[in-house]
Amino acid sequence: MSTQADVGAIADLIARCALRDRAAFRQLYERTSAKLFGVALRILKDRAETEEAIQEIYVKIWQKADRYVAGQYSPISWLVAVARNHALDKVRVKRPVSEDIDTALDIADMGPSPERQVEQSEDSARIAHCLGTLEPDRAEAVRGAYLDGFSYEELAQRHAVPLNTMRTWLRRSLAKLKDCLTS
Amino acid sequence: MSDQDKQEKDGNRALVAEYVLGLLDVQTHEAVGKRIAGDTALQREHDFWANHFSGLDDQFEPVAPPAHILPKIESRLFGTEKRASWWDSLALWRSVAAGALAVAVAAVGFSVMQPSPDSSALATQLVAALQAEGSDVQFLALYDGTGAVRLTALSGETMPNNDYELWAIQGGGSPISMGVVPINARSTVELSDTVRAGWGEGSVLAVTLEPKGGAPAGVPTGPVVAQGAVTKI
Repeated sequence: MSTQADVGAIADLIARCALRDRAAFRQLYERTSAKLFGVALRILKDRAETEEAIQEIYVKIWQKADRYVAGQYSPISWLVAVARNHALDKVRVKRPVSEDIDTALDIADMGPSPERQVEQSEDSARIAHCLGTLEPDRAEAVRGAYLDGFSYEELAQRHAVPLNTMRTWLRRSLAKLKDCLTS
Repeated sequence: MSDQDKQEKDGNRALVAEYVLGLLDVQTHEAVGKRIAGDTALQREHDFWANHFSGLDDQFEPVAPPAHILPKIESRLFGTEKRASWWDSLALWRSVAAGALAVAVAAVGFSVMQPSPDSSALATQLVAALQAEGSDVQFLALYDGTGAVRLTALSGETMPNNDYELWAIQGGGSPISMGVVPINARSTVELSDTVRAGWGEGSVLAVTLEPKGGAPAGVPTGPVVAQGAVTKI
């Protein structure tokens, strides 16, 4: 599913969905639904809920196909992001509203400014390398958040640390990760 | 810097990453999402994390969904009619020998499904299917009466050392450059005054393969890889 030809074919199918080509939509579903079902199931952890979610995900893909710009993201990453974000929206509404974070984001505070484009081919090696520079349990927590959609509460429980400790761990780890990824 | 300050700073720096990871609660997630949407620097920060974390996507194991899902999605999207009927398929049209006419007809279907809010614009809608023998480059061009041509490549490869350039040929005159067009993305090309002066049914759009940046002297130098006449629909 990740050869260059496949990537091109999937980008082409998304472009044709933007032109309202229903046959292309069906092909896109046939080629990508197992991956996206896997993404949603891993985060939602419930089959019935995932069967409902995957329908909503493909409705979104059909509706948002014209927003995909080939060359900017890998088409698979784009599809996975649609599925992952949708599943996360579902789990998020069930979570308690925890604390009052100050969302006055100050970009000057965010450290080095990232480059516009990230080389796709570098991606998995780079993130793997930088996760490797964190303490193993903290890297595991970051992976758990991204891949399993774990909340701070769930991560704190799994790692048997207080909630605030987990927050501090993760925020520090993300700051470190950014330094590594931008270096 | 005090410990408190340091913690606050880490918190701030991490907020967009926490957003991408999905760690924020509903309210904060929504608030941060709005901030990101309205700020290009934050968008860059967002894309940075989204792109890097997508390097972990390989670790999602595929799981085949049950077979009854696809028909449900199709009926949700396309109603209860029979799924993906033959005329919906651009792929089919591309294989028809009289390709140009056929693609134009498919485009009628396309424009009917997305009705223009301004019915008078329908009168000036024009379409062109661009292709050429011996070339796999195909474009579909749609003019909706608003002064710009929307262009989609149906097939064709990007060339490392060349660009595709779009030309308008009208009334037997010399080709007028409409600029370099991408093959891997949809694009919109504004009609220049010169093009607009002669624009209408019978105008020909052509795509040539040119050096990077387009034909240096404003005159086509490379082979025509696709062309087609503009037709009313």
